[in-house]
Amino acid sequence: MNYRVTHRTTYRYSGRVSLCHNEARLLPRETPSQFVGETKLVIEPKPAIYHERRDFFGNRVVYFSIQDLHQVLKVTATSHITGAPRVLPPDAASPAWDEVARVVRRLPELGALEARQFMLESPFIRPSHELLDYARPSFAPDRPLLEAVLDLNRRIFKDFTYDPGFSTLATPLSQVLEERRGVCQDFAHLAIGCLRSLGLAARYVSGYLETLPPPGKERLVGADASHAWLAVFIPGLGWVDLDPTNDCLPGERHVTLAWGRDYSDVAPLKGVMIGGGTHALDVSVDVMPLRPAA
Amino acid sequence: MIEAQMKPTAVETLLADYPLPQDGRWDVLLRPDGSLRPGWDYILGQLAELGVSELQPRYEEAQRLLRENGVTFNAYEDSRGANRAWSVDPIPLPIEGSDWAEVEAGVAQRTRLFDRLLADLYGPRTVLRRGVLPPELVHAHPGFLHPAWNSLPEGHAWLVCHGVDIARDEYGHWVALGDRAQAPSGEGYALENRITLARALPTVYREAPLQRLASFLETERATLARLAARHLDSPNVVLLTPGPGSQGYFEHAYLANYLSISLVQGEDLVVRDGRVWLKTLGGLQAVDVILRRVTDAWCDPLELRGDSVLGVPGLLSAVREGGVTLANALGCGAMENPGLLPFLPALARELLGEELRLPSVASWWCGREQDCDQVLGSLDRLLVHYLPDRTRIDGARLDEPGRQRLRERIRNAPHLFVAQERIRPATAPVWADGRIVAEPVTLRAFSVLAEDGYRVMPGALAWATPEGAPSGQGGITKDVWVLADAPQPHVSLLRQAHGPIIVTRDGADLPSRVADNLFWLGRYGERYDILSRLLREALQRLVERGEEAGDDSCLKELLTALMLDVGEVEAGPRGRYLALRRTLLSMFDDQRENGLREMFAGMLRNGRAVRDHLGDDSFRVLNRLRDNLQQLPSPPSISGARKALDEHLTLIAAFFGLCNETMPHHYGWRFLDIGRFVERTLNTLNLLEVVFVRAKHPGLPLWEVLLSTTDNMTAYRRRYRSALHPNAILDLLLFDEDNPRSVGYLLRRLARQIQRLPQPSGTPYRSAEERLILQAQSTLQLVDIEALAASIREGEEEGGSGGHLLAELLASLMAPLSELSDALTHSHFSHSETPRQLIDML
Repeated sequence: MNYRVTHRTTYRYSGRVSLCHNEARLLPRETPSQFVGETKLVIEPKPAIYHERRDFFGNRVVYFSIQDLHQVLKVTATSHITGAPRVLPPDAASPAWDEVARVVRRLPELGALEARQFMLESPFIRPSHELLDYARPSFAPDRPLLEAVLDLNRRIFKDFTYDPGFSTLATPLSQVLEERRGVCQDFAHLAIGCLRSLGLAARYVSGYLETLPPPGKERLVGADASHAWLAVFIPGLGWVDLDPTNDCLPGERHVTLAWGRDYSDVAPLKGVMIGGGTHALDVSVDVMPLRPAA
Repeated sequence: MIEAQMKPTAVETLLADYPLPQDGRWDVLLRPDGSLRPGWDYILGQLAELGVSELQPRYEEAQRLLRENGVTFNAYEDSRGANRAWSVDPIPLPIEGSDWAEVEAGVAQRTRLFDRLLADLYGPRTVLRRGVLPPELVHAHPGFLHPAWNSLPEGHAWLVCHGVDIARDEYGHWVALGDRAQAPSGEGYALENRITLARALPTVYREAPLQRLASFLETERATLARLAARHLDSPNVVLLTPGPGSQGYFEHAYLANYLSISLVQGEDLVVRDGRVWLKTLGGLQAVDVILRRVTDAWCDPLELRGDSVLGVPGLLSAVREGGVTLANALGCGAMENPGLLPFLPALARELLGEELRLPSVASWWCGREQDCDQVLGSLDRLLVHYLPDRTRIDGARLDEPGRQRLRERIRNAPHLFVAQERIRPATAPVWADGRIVAEPVTLRAFSVLAEDGYRVMPGALAWATPEGAPSGQGGITKDVWVLADAPQPHVSLLRQAHGPIIVTRDGADLPSRVADNLFWLGRYGERYDILSRLLREALQRLVERGEEAGDDSCLKELLTALMLDVGEVEAGPRGRYLALRRTLLSMFDDQRENGLREMFAGMLRNGRAVRDHLGDDSFRVLNRLRDNLQQLPSPPSISGARKALDEHLTLIAAFFGLCNETMPHHYGWRFLDIGRFVERTLNTLNLLEVVFVRAKHPGLPLWEVLLSTTDNMTAYRRRYRSALHPNAILDLLLFDEDNPRSVGYLLRRLARQIQRLPQPSGTPYRSAEERLILQAQSTLQLVDIEALAASIREGEEEGGSGGHLLAELLASLMAPLSELSDALTHSHFSHSETPRQLIDML
């Protein structure tokens, strides 16, 4: 499937900003199932400094700094993406989850070594007994890992209410678990917390999802949103993505932007500014399907 | 002890109370059989010559010097003295050259090893790939910063300086206890201890066969200059401090001074065009190298801790672009991980191809199963580090249920725990209460990058603590002598410049924040002065009035001027007296708003923030004032208070006098002066208003108070003898431009100072502050003195007030002066806006 993704962020400040430093993780990375074509990041007003680099996790990061007085900051990322279908073995063919937890530290393969840092606590996610208790029913001894995580994925989807008004960035995971509500970010953190509490490696993935218009309706431009899900490490298979918000295995309609230990590693747009007063934020995302080039 | 034969020698007398080594500990002075170890002859001989009785006064002299120089090691110093005393032991700790060579080689290798390790962890990470180091250990420690990955080009130094805590174990072998890299404090203290003792014990130090420290500092200075990517002939090097509220601030100011570099705080710096700039009165000035004393996580609110106000947004990005060099590099906190210690021998082989020379204290990382089992079984003998928040738990101090809980915590997340054996450091002689006793001693050794590898300071900072661990909280410290064969020549860091030097004298490179601090130093100092004068006058009146007399109207007006309210009063003259005394002395209370201590705290805070701009003598006076206030009971007796106020007024005058004498009369001094004289003008106008406009009972006694508070009694008497008249008083205090206490003089001085401040180039117009001062000056100069006198006469006849014209004049003088402070802030200090986050993450 081919997409053109447009992600526009607009900050309007009540006062003038004299200087700002920003970091954007808005340009998608390539993955085995995602080819990235032309990408563009347009910043208004024009930044004095603009550099792109790869961060520790291999994500594309743009640092920019605006040194002219401004009251509006507009950042528009446009990317052309070709997604390939992901091939997965039958659920039962993966190794038993408890065996994986036992041996992952001793596996010699490079992938496993890289995965080990995703087993530890991170700024937003601390493994806990509560998370472990929630995960347990899906993880009976000897159950194949893929089957178990799919079960967990389904349970989160069933047990939790999608409620954009409930949580903010500061809402702790324990509260999400207690109140059984949140947004995609919270559900991804929750699933990661469960897996790490069990001794498994899981990472946070940020990206987009093409939303399909209701039957018979026109597609609305800009009505899409940023999305988040997670991936679990399975020896022999590598990283397998899971989307607990939609109870599915991400496929061609999921566009990957970046990944890290949790949200704090992949925030799409961070910044520190001088001046500005209060601000209003406007974000619009458009995941536009394109006809494959003939 | 050496057996006394006939008459004990002087050395034997000196060591009469010194015990033989106890319970298997190593003692650096005595062998188990009581004979002296080598290296002590010179020191003991010198101390014996001084004699035990002379050592105590020398010790006290050294402490006095330290206090007067403001040597402290604590966070929030206030005028009540919550600071922990830092003391230096008068008995130096000698280490033989051959013995030190071992430490030197070990420390230099260790720094090289950590430097390579950081380069690897923040680069190719081969030690993880090859299984030499488990990734869990690296990532469990908060010192590892993902944003620092790949932030330095290959070949650049991650470590420029490094502090290693070392001690001798029971066998006398040197053992490393831990490492400091983010803000390795101590060099400055080591230097200050050396200088202080050399002054307190001149005979001991004059011919001492020891290695000097200056050349080490010279290496550090040269290295910092060499690290600059640009401006190689005159690089701009700064020392970044968290500020006067931080533990090591004294040392930061001291080192900056010694190395001749600017002392700056995060708010003084800004990143623009991918480079770091210092905000000065003359505009932005490029910074090439930052010697950093702010810990990693707080350095850049963009990529590191978002809630930090100590750092500089965009700093890490500037580092990546090569726009600035940091010493040490951001991310070096990863090597302070105590869990690395058991892996060091393998890392040395892997990264250096060498055997580790300096062993570390036995440590176990619980993330390794066999190590974890061992730790769980012997918690009672171990110190346990919890990596995420770097806390330490002493297993020996826990009861069995406590140890059980700790075991449970370790089992839940073993990779977060590191256990260490408690070593028993060797004891050394320490002077305590007139005797020489044995105390465990730990040292911090320092290394610095030189052109051909790392150099180790020939000396160290030693702590004598019952625990034997550097507490980081002051305590008793010792000067460490690395012995040389003969006395070494003195080396000064003042050096002859190589090549031409750019002569500058305009002072426009003054950081704006420093100008701000100097301005407020002046204002607080002057306010302290006027409060002391008013209070002294009021106490004088109270004493004269006595306990049984009736009301004193003059005292009432003084209370108004001091903004004091007597509140509830017990019945009778005595009750009134007690209430007045209580109210007046409350000016010395800790929490008193606008009280003396609050004013002094403001003065000290601003003074400390510009420590490197004040002369040593001025700073000593400030510290003496602090001591004086600290020692004063709260509340003091009346006589105690009056005596203290007399002294304080002298000290304040001495402080500003010394500032005038020693500070170059450039921008910094001008801001100090403007602060003082804005405050003094406002205070004088306010007093005139109290006396001539607002007083309910005006007249002679109050006029007298006015003249003595403003220190004008003598001047008045010489002119007018003892006949007091409002017109004459007003002429002296308002119009006479030759009287340094008059408003006319003060305004003229302010106008001159303000005219000479740096102005934004290219504007032909007067600045706001120039207009304000001009407004006040012309108001005063255009006064119709005849009419004013007539109005005063009228007022007097009507019941004593100074008449409406005077009231109006005073008000129209006060208005522009009150605005002046804001105008100055806007023109010169407006850098102080705090950067804010676009999104609040945690």
